Amino acid sequence: MSERRIGVFICHCGGNISDYVDVAAVRDAIKDEPDVVVAETTIFACADATQTDMVQAIKEQNLDGLVVASCSPKLHTFTFRGVARRAGMNPYTYTQVNIREQNSWAHTDDPAGATRKAIRLVKAGIAKTRLSTPLHPLEVETTPATLVIGGGVAGLRAAIGLADIGLGVYLIERGSEIGGWVAKFGNMYPQGRKGSKLVDELMAEVEKRSTIKVFTNAELTAKSGSFGNYKVDIHIGGPKSMGISLNVGSIVVATGFDTYEPEVGEYGYGIDGVLTLPKFKALVDSSKGSLTYHGRPVKTIAYIYCVGSRQPEGNAYCSRYCCAATVHASLEVQNLDPKVHQYHLYRDMRTYGKYELMYTETRERGSVFMKYLEDTPPSVSRNAAGQLVVTTADSLTGGQEVSIPADLVVLVTGMVPRKNDTLINALKLPVGSDGFFNEIHPKLRPVETVVDGVMIAGACQGPKNSSESVASGLAAVTQSAAMLKKGVAELDPMVAQVNAEACTWCGLCEETCPYAAVAKTEVDGREVATVDAAVCKGCGGCAPVCPQDAIDLRGYTDQQIRAMIENLAEVPAL
Amino acid sequence: MSALVDADLLQDIKKFGKVDVSACFSCGNCTAVCPLSNNDGTFPRRMIRYAQVGMKDTLLSSKELWTCYHCGMCSDSCPTQADPGGFMAAARRYAIASYDHTRLAWLMYTQPVFASILAIVLAAFFAVFMYTSHGPQSQTSMNLFGFIPEPLIHYTGLAVMVLAFIFGVAGIVTMVQKLSHQEMKLRGKSKVSGLKALWSSIGVESIGQKRYREDCATAELEVPWYRRRWLIHSLTMWGFLGLLVATVADYGLSLIGVKMPGTWVPIWYPTRLLGTLAGLAMIYGVTMFFVDRFTKANQSAKNSAPADWMLLVLLWIVGFSGFLIEISLYLSNPPAWGYWVFLFHVSVAMELILLAPFMKFAHAIYRPVALYYLSRAGGEASED
Repeated sequence: MSERRIGVFICHCGGNISDYVDVAAVRDAIKDEPDVVVAETTIFACADATQTDMVQAIKEQNLDGLVVASCSPKLHTFTFRGVARRAGMNPYTYTQVNIREQNSWAHTDDPAGATRKAIRLVKAGIAKTRLSTPLHPLEVETTPATLVIGGGVAGLRAAIGLADIGLGVYLIERGSEIGGWVAKFGNMYPQGRKGSKLVDELMAEVEKRSTIKVFTNAELTAKSGSFGNYKVDIHIGGPKSMGISLNVGSIVVATGFDTYEPEVGEYGYGIDGVLTLPKFKALVDSSKGSLTYHGRPVKTIAYIYCVGSRQPEGNAYCSRYCCAATVHASLEVQNLDPKVHQYHLYRDMRTYGKYELMYTETRERGSVFMKYLEDTPPSVSRNAAGQLVVTTADSLTGGQEVSIPADLVVLVTGMVPRKNDTLINALKLPVGSDGFFNEIHPKLRPVETVVDGVMIAGACQGPKNSSESVASGLAAVTQSAAMLKKGVAELDPMVAQVNAEACTWCGLCEETCPYAAVAKTEVDGREVATVDAAVCKGCGGCAPVCPQDAIDLRGYTDQQIRAMIENLAEVPAL
Repeated sequence: MSALVDADLLQDIKKFGKVDVSACFSCGNCTAVCPLSNNDGTFPRRMIRYAQVGMKDTLLSSKELWTCYHCGMCSDSCPTQADPGGFMAAARRYAIASYDHTRLAWLMYTQPVFASILAIVLAAFFAVFMYTSHGPQSQTSMNLFGFIPEPLIHYTGLAVMVLAFIFGVAGIVTMVQKLSHQEMKLRGKSKVSGLKALWSSIGVESIGQKRYREDCATAELEVPWYRRRWLIHSLTMWGFLGLLVATVADYGLSLIGVKMPGTWVPIWYPTRLLGTLAGLAMIYGVTMFFVDRFTKANQSAKNSAPADWMLLVLLWIVGFSGFLIEISLYLSNPPAWGYWVFLFHVSVAMELILLAPFMKFAHAIYRPVALYYLSRAGGEASED
């Protein structure tokens, strides 16, 4: 290999490294290594001023390799790739050497040993860099279409948004009707508009857009391809059962939630007159004039909050929507009949934000709120006279036990994840311990999943009300636009490559690949392996299993790894 | 034991005063400012909570309801304008109506038109009843008992008092049953002996008005002494009691043959002097109560219930007409109106006594009972 011009920067990390590693000694030990043109120590390699110095050194010394010995590559790989790029150097000829987490922090009791280890680690980094080749990100054209899974408000609103930014949309709904939960609701907070009306409006908008195709009774059964170019198989049930395949660039999962179904006996569930919140909402929605249940007038209602939510065993999370939904339902009841007595037995009221106003209103209109403690939950029974009675301890009167005769007991049930095993398997969706789908980062990447190009929106991610679901649906639209509107996707070039001349197609690499990126192909009449660079994640799993050593991982070639090992094994003369 | 909720309790209490405590979330500002709250830290908001939840029995078993003299500082400091002081007043009215099993008190409190008609009809009944046995109106000297026979007044009055006593005792029994049950449940043994407690409740607190005068006057530091509520109330009460004593003493004198009823006596004659001074005290007290309520001078006078007016009106009529009679007695020429005022005075006084257990007057018996239990508990207002 021709002569290289490598710059090495060794970081003090303000003492995190230099307190245990003799940074100057490391520099002195490697400054005369072959091809090393620049060898410097810095207080903070990541500081803006240092970065500027690095850019200047790369330019002035015309460097073609960069080694930064500082912290974990998890922290600053992209920082120093950026330095290289700004200096006009190929970013993939930069190597990060970790002398903090894997050295100074681990060997605080042995500074001399830590220094010797640092020297070897840096030398290994230099050796790897010496053999580096310029790499360029792979560019693949993307399909300007998105698959939306789930026809609730989140999915519908996302479909409209996607269509409006010029992407084709396929919306599949597992059920036979579009609209999800919201379509079944009567008046909803905060505007008091009917849920069915909201869905009608959304559907009218969907119908105006010819680029949205809606399929009901439709389920995704398989996904192949890679981000930007997925092929999805859809099974459409119903009278004309059939399968179709669609090409899409991204996928928005908006499969929604199920409601918690209490066990029989849980807060009296199973006794006539004990209802879950969704059933009660349906009762209120269908009532005109006064409120009746099974033909009997309802004069007293007791609500028990947090049923199936915030449980030490079971669902630990807060379902978030139920407090406001219940308070809203109680206002609806007050509108129907202001004389109905309403007792709200709660653990904590979480009518956050503007919903607090509904809480205040229903209190002022006569709803009584009674806090119960987790370890003394209310009990529900039917007494000898056939009357439903809720017994609870009232915190505000020093925990006095009171019995409330009620015509209806409403169990304020929360949200639980839907059963979606086929979908989860097909998309390899990350499922949290609570059963909802996980985003990459709750604050900064709230709708993306670890599966590139697959986003989550609405309550499939965790309990949300409809406003929040729609907002996350629109966030998924934006993220789809960011991925697909460029027309091309940049993929990391550090992927496996096959030396077709050496390959004899034994199939071991195909078997071992977790991403189905390896396939058999024919080159000059011979069967050889080929790697789909767009699908390959660069895990390196195939390289060691190849009996012919025909597979190399770009950026981590066998040659580079061997050179690193040789330098690590070398005993430095101190 | 679990308290069975009466969901209508708050609605019922609302019939006894324009109060809305729905907005109360038990923040405790009232407790912080109340001169009567103790380390337990739940007075008076716990009373509101009973009403919100519907703990009717617990509320009616609470002696604490009657420890409050409605200084109104809680209502001034309430961040949700729930008017705790006004609520306590309404709850006491509700309690008076609930301790009475005849439902007459309930009717009189909640139906002011009925109460007014009843007052007029009853007074008219007494007037007609006594007028049917009337004699001549002497023009030479003011001979009141020549006009309405003294025995008729005496025995009618006695009958009225016995009736009022029976109903009053019935109410007390109901209240005592509830309070002693609750106190036994909470405390078991009393801390203070019965006699001591009796002295404390009737002597120190009811006659002496100690808490009213000391603790509960904090709100009136700016008010001149002769306008303070405790003094106005004391003068009214002492005046009424003075008149009662003078009347009984006058009868007593006739029994021992010192002086026959209706005999002319000079103004300095002991029973006459006592009656005159007591009457003046009562008229001053009642008049100042009127002024306070008309001018809404303080929190307790801000929202007057019809029942508040009724007691003041009856007391004022009795006191003022009594004075007119006294004036007529000392005039050289007996005026004819003196006889009619006398008939009116006696009729209204009788109905005042007869209706006492069913109207605001009843607080005079229920409050001492509650204060007795408070004293028995060692002054602790706490519930548990």
